[in-house]
Amino acid sequence: MAIETAHSYLVHPGKAASAQPAISATTVSRSDRLFELLTKIYDGAPAECKIDISFQADDSGHQVNDRCSQFDIYLTKPTLARGRAIAEELQLVTTNRSKLGLLFLVTGTEKGQRRLVVSRFPADEGIVAQEHKSKLSVEFIERIFMKNSHAYKSACCQVSLPHKGLWRGKAIDHQISGGQKEISDYWVREFLLSELSTTSAAGTRRAAKVLREAIRSSDDLDVRQELIAAAMLMRGQDGRVVSVRSICSGLGLSEVAMALIDRKMPAADLANEQFAFSSEEFDKHLRYRAVELDNGAVLMAEADRFDDVFSREELDGQGRGMERFWTEGRVEDERVRQTK
Amino acid sequence: MSEIDVESAYRQRYERSLKALAIRLEAHLCDLFDEVNHIDRISARAKDPRRFAEKAGKAENGRPKYMHPFEEIQDQVGARITVLYESDVPVVEEVLVRYFHPVENLQRAPEDSASFGYFVPDEAVSEDVPQFVEIQIKTAFQHAWSETNHDIAYKSDADLTPEQERWLAFAAAQAWGADKAINELVADLGPDPEEGSTR
Repeated sequence: MAIETAHSYLVHPGKAASAQPAISATTVSRSDRLFELLTKIYDGAPAECKIDISFQADDSGHQVNDRCSQFDIYLTKPTLARGRAIAEELQLVTTNRSKLGLLFLVTGTEKGQRRLVVSRFPADEGIVAQEHKSKLSVEFIERIFMKNSHAYKSACCQVSLPHKGLWRGKAIDHQISGGQKEISDYWVREFLLSELSTTSAAGTRRAAKVLREAIRSSDDLDVRQELIAAAMLMRGQDGRVVSVRSICSGLGLSEVAMALIDRKMPAADLANEQFAFSSEEFDKHLRYRAVELDNGAVLMAEADRFDDVFSREELDGQGRGMERFWTEGRVEDERVRQTK
Repeated sequence: MSEIDVESAYRQRYERSLKALAIRLEAHLCDLFDEVNHIDRISARAKDPRRFAEKAGKAENGRPKYMHPFEEIQDQVGARITVLYESDVPVVEEVLVRYFHPVENLQRAPEDSASFGYFVPDEAVSEDVPQFVEIQIKTAFQHAWSETNHDIAYKSDADLTPEQERWLAFAAAQAWGADKAINELVADLGPDPEEGSTR
């Protein structure tokens, strides 16, 4: 794997700007030490970019997408000028919050396909110290890039040229691992003109079903209770961009519970698939229903099985609300717990 | 790559992954639409290797239509959801786009699909799994028309005569008209008392 071209652009926050600042650009030469670093980013991009993205269709339903067109033009003949058009689009959606950024466009050829890696590093601050003969000079610098790997964004597309088919790509935005949807909107939606390939409902449904299967199949009561607790806490993730793995790790699930969830995933990679969690969708597939009686009893079961597990009967028919519940089963666990 | 080479390479992919993907897709769709009314049938298939090779070998303006058929032919795996009434199509579409990301979402009427699109399969990405699947939504009449049209027109070696073309167009119009008539009737009859919703 070898990089064929690498261009770099200094992209300013231009979203609210009345006039767009000029974008300085340069070609990174092979002799440059930066080239080595870019090689690592380029080689690692297919594995690093874990978020599967799909480019948006236009209003008529066709995948006529400006960014795909620009990538196509750039991949066909990567020039500084063609890359600048991409940088200009990034600048138009960059807010002051996203700060000044250094954009890299790196291309190569892999197995007969052209690969484009697009990476953005925000400006950071730092101090440079230089030793002179008899004194030390320190300088505060506001334009340091690649210092903080947690702020790194990247995208990777690989297609055969000329490309007449539909486009798909992969991306990574380390900032959305924290679940900040507005940041994912900046990189994935506004700049890449894409959406997460896994829809909110599909990702949430899979998470709920996997968790439900894990709960049902667990014969370890502690693990089962841990998973039930996780199911209840997961609802708090509503609207956040997550993966099954990130949720489980955020909830501090034990290794045994996590391994059980992994076994229930249709494919291992899907545990890392990112999606916007929907508690409404989650409730359709995994919800617990609890009934508390005035005598202190608490009855709980999966919502869609509650009426199968518990039989109930109205007792007096005088509107006093007296009911009898009954159920049958083998006792698997019995504990004494402290009351509130 | 010759047509035979394309067929052979595709057949490997077909046997190794596409057939299984079609089975999983069908099961997944059946599960998703389990509680949706008026679904007549759901089926999925992997494109037959011979048909793929024929399509890959097509020419356009004297040049190969597909330079990279494995990337450019998007219906290697396709599914069809057949519904009873035309008014069911948007209902099914709504569920579909909730669970599948539409890469292209198109309408064709009256002679072809009611609605079709290319979607990202709900699968882990791998070299062997196509990046897109085609999912069509058709009414029962459109399904019947589509199947016969495909059999007669697309598989016919010779071009159809103008009169035969007119018969095909007539049949298409009949299917289109039947959908409209049934839809009107269903709207007149009002909500289905058993389902508590529009028929």
